[in-house]
Amino acid sequence: MAGQSMETQMTGISVTGQNLANVNTTGYTRQTVDIQTNPDIMTTIGPEGTGAEAVSIQQAVDTLLNGQIQGQQSVSSYWNGQQSALESVQDELDEFLSSTSTSGSSSSSDDTTTSSGLSTLLNNVFNDFQAVATSPTSIADRQQLISDAQSLASAFNQIQSSLIQEITTLNTSLSNDVDSANQLISGIASLNQQISAAEFGGGNANDLLDEQQQDLNNLAQLTDITTTAGADGTVNVSVNGQTLVSGSQVVNTLQTYDPTNGNGNLLVQTSSGTPLTLTGGSMQGTIDARDGTLSTLASSLNLLANSIITQVNSVYTAGYSLTGSTGADFFTGTGADNIAVNSSLINDPSLFQASGSATASGDNTIALQLAELADAPQSNLQNETFSDSLDQTIGSFGDSLQTANNQVSNQTAVMNMLTNQQSSISGVSLDQEMTNLLSFQQAYEASAEVVTTVNQMLGDTLQMGSAS
Amino acid sequence: MIGQTNALSAQLDNLENEVTTGLSVQAPSDNPDAMVTTLNDLATQSADQQYSSNITTLQSQANSIYSVLQSLQSIVSQAQSIATEAGSGTANQTTLNDYASQVSSLIQQALKLVNTQNPETGQYLFGGTDTSNQPFTAATNADGNVTGVTYSGNDSTTQAEIAQGVTISVGVPGANTSGSGTQGLITNTSTGADLFNHLISLQNDLLAGNTSAISSTDASNLQNDENNMTYQVAYNGNVQTQLSTASSFASNQNTTLNQGISNASGADAVQVMTQLNQVQDAYEAALEVTSRVMEVSLVDFLV
Repeated sequence: MAGQSMETQMTGISVTGQNLANVNTTGYTRQTVDIQTNPDIMTTIGPEGTGAEAVSIQQAVDTLLNGQIQGQQSVSSYWNGQQSALESVQDELDEFLSSTSTSGSSSSSDDTTTSSGLSTLLNNVFNDFQAVATSPTSIADRQQLISDAQSLASAFNQIQSSLIQEITTLNTSLSNDVDSANQLISGIASLNQQISAAEFGGGNANDLLDEQQQDLNNLAQLTDITTTAGADGTVNVSVNGQTLVSGSQVVNTLQTYDPTNGNGNLLVQTSSGTPLTLTGGSMQGTIDARDGTLSTLASSLNLLANSIITQVNSVYTAGYSLTGSTGADFFTGTGADNIAVNSSLINDPSLFQASGSATASGDNTIALQLAELADAPQSNLQNETFSDSLDQTIGSFGDSLQTANNQVSNQTAVMNMLTNQQSSISGVSLDQEMTNLLSFQQAYEASAEVVTTVNQMLGDTLQMGSAS
Repeated sequence: MIGQTNALSAQLDNLENEVTTGLSVQAPSDNPDAMVTTLNDLATQSADQQYSSNITTLQSQANSIYSVLQSLQSIVSQAQSIATEAGSGTANQTTLNDYASQVSSLIQQALKLVNTQNPETGQYLFGGTDTSNQPFTAATNADGNVTGVTYSGNDSTTQAEIAQGVTISVGVPGANTSGSGTQGLITNTSTGADLFNHLISLQNDLLAGNTSAISSTDASNLQNDENNMTYQVAYNGNVQTQLSTASSFASNQNTTLNQGISNASGADAVQVMTQLNQVQDAYEAALEVTSRVMEVSLVDFLV
């Protein structure tokens, strides 16, 4: 009995050692040894105890909490995906406020706030139209206008190019996520097989279950999954109603597809060809950032650039240059990706058609009309001016990123709370394990003492026999 | 624990950034509504700065015109004095010839004045919108006297914007024979002003000794020219007043906009510094607690 007790306490020490060894292992679930009293033996004086034995090693796990963490990881990754995509575009948009001191004083009251990016460049161009209207024959003012118009066109080109590049990057990221998800799907199916085999006949595959939960969490970060636990420790995984893993079988993997045959904006479907409508995870975060905010931003900037080109040219072509030429366009191109200043103006600013008369170089009719376009509501921009439309586009983009930032912050708090809860249940506490270690050690020593005592008593009894 | 210290560290970074830049909003995502308000205000401010620049250019042009007007007023006044003296019939022909010579000189001075070019741009001030060509050209006879002056400009003027939707015309065309529109500087048919022809007529009548024509016609014609100059000076004064008012408006609006921008995106220094101190204390406390907790374990007491 005492020998069995020593064996039982050794098992406890062994489990404690395992816990201590994994104190820093991500995803490790604390294990406990389940010790039960052996059945009594009925004697003439009553039931006599037969000691205790270790019957199982259990994981300290809260499956409901694990499910919650898994679900919240999908939400967190969704917003992280959006935040990451939008933050890099905000940098590319370069629409930032800065403060410059106007008098060299450190006092904030002497500071002037300035903006960068398209908004400033757009204002500059229409102010330059004003300057030319005020001094219609000034070559310096014309040069400044053409230079600022080139800067505006170039900024439109760069931002549009960056947005296209970002969309390409997001498509690549989506493909990479799909590859990672397929590896995890395959891994979960394989683990299911191993767990099923290990637990066949009442065994416990604790460490494999930890690995399985880690894979499920990682998959949940990529997409919103639904899991169903099997009796043998296996787990079935589905997404959007489509089964991915059933026991040890991979039913479906994921793949990307181009729904519009050519624009490269990929979506996700199962390997059997069923398109998936995802609601969480980094994959959907990527898709929503790409097809939502970024797509809206790109089309708004494109519409604005097109509107500027059309409206400026419609006024400008009727004008006359200092050389008497007429009929040329000021801007070439059709949108944000290809807007440019008429190359002939870059070489010769006198060709700018500011005058409404072929014979009056001092006339400013056209330049003034161009300047007044700045305050004209545009019907294709929801009756907003160019500047207001751009500001609204920037504000709308800011709203999306602010929402993503707030959601990421909220989700971080939720995840911290849940992981703290999980840690208190499943985490390894050095203090607790050391206490257990002492407890098992003392029990072992006590059992060993019993063996020594019994041994001594037996020896005494044998000596009594030989003496007689 | 680490997450909390990281969050506090990020808050500290944000607050320090606000203190050093004086701005609570720097990127669209910081506060989209405030960003839109600030960008709108900055656009208005930028337009106001351009209006101010326009006003400065126009004030310079108006001053140049005013300077010419003063000189022309003086010429008209001198011509009127000569007409009065000569029209009294007391002067002999020699004196009249001297007067004619003075009038001839006045014509030359006036010609020079009306062909004045903007010193900065080289453009002619009184050719209407045809500013590249000399507007007035004189024809002279064998004696060197001006027999006629031709105007080759037009009667149009340019409008320039000095506030949103507010335009002003500073320029004055050299002649307006249409009977409507901006009054011409030298010739204005609707008011009977025609300075060069009237001076040439006075010059010719002086040389011919035709004192009755001087008193009956030339003097009254010159009165029309004087009235025209008085009108032009008053018009110029009115323009300068409008420019000055618009300049003050732009300046005041700039102050208001700065305040609006500061309210929308500026950092409240007192509030930010208070928050900074609070977060700094919390951060230091979190670091202290973290280091204390990390260093104590049951292991320390057992080993």
